[in-house]
Amino acid sequence: MNATFAKSARAALLGALLTASAGVLAHNPMAECKPAADKEQIQCTGGFSDGSGAAGVTMDVISYDEQILVPGKLDKDSKLTFKRPDGEFYVLFDAGPGHVVEIDHVDIQ
Amino acid sequence: MSKTATLSSAAPKPSFWRRWRFHLSGLLLILPIIYVPKYFETLALSRGLMGLGQRPAGDVQVGPWKLQFAEWRVEPPKSDPAGMVKTFTMAQCAGCENEIRAVYVRVGKPRSLRAAGSIFFGSPHRAFATVPIPPRTAPDAELWVTAEGWDGSVHQAAWPIATASPATVAWLKNQGAN
Repeated sequence: MNATFAKSARAALLGALLTASAGVLAHNPMAECKPAADKEQIQCTGGFSDGSGAAGVTMDVISYDEQILVPGKLDKDSKLTFKRPDGEFYVLFDAGPGHVVEIDHVDIQ
Repeated sequence: MSKTATLSSAAPKPSFWRRWRFHLSGLLLILPIIYVPKYFETLALSRGLMGLGQRPAGDVQVGPWKLQFAEWRVEPPKSDPAGMVKTFTMAQCAGCENEIRAVYVRVGKPRSLRAAGSIFFGSPHRAFATVPIPPRTAPDAELWVTAEGWDGSVHQAAWPIATASPATVAWLKNQGAN
């Protein structure tokens, strides 16, 4: 076996050891909302902490008295745009039981 | 003549490096030993030999069910792409596993069952939930535990953060100071 091969094999092994990690990939839901350019609209984005998107996932805009104002689904870019409702409301990113993110209207500014 | 110059003349560069490479190899063998206690502690925690978690956080009576909680690791909330999060573990009371459908936890009282917070996943003997802790949370705030039964009943109980995780309270106070 030639020395060059042994050397490159050692370098590859060292590289593999240095880059290997036992990191845990969490899958927590995440969402953020911000006013769109015209201030009348709000754009919300959903996703997961492992970097995956949330196309088609439910995102509802709900008033404080639990009326669903905008029943929404995230588009292919994991986004939902809607007109800012009057009164107090919150946005609920709902990826299933126990996988929700709630954003209050006072936090959208 | 300076010391460095004496050294370099006494030991030419290649042999000097070779000698130190030998010592460095020894150091690399010793270094992992420092982490051995931490490794075994993590192993014991994961295997359940240390109980539910690093710090038992007491029992919480949620409706008819008594749930036992623990702080998985005694540390302030951790940074995650989803925000600052804290992990808790929970064990159900004996015999309750056939009655409880799901248990959720979140900071503050939930508006609805849909928004009940993070779900505990795992076995009835040790289930995990990772709770987002908003940095603006008041240190005297409460976590709310929601338990849903197979019979459709929903029960809630407040669980002060001070009881659940003093490390989180200390972190929140520090956040407030900032």
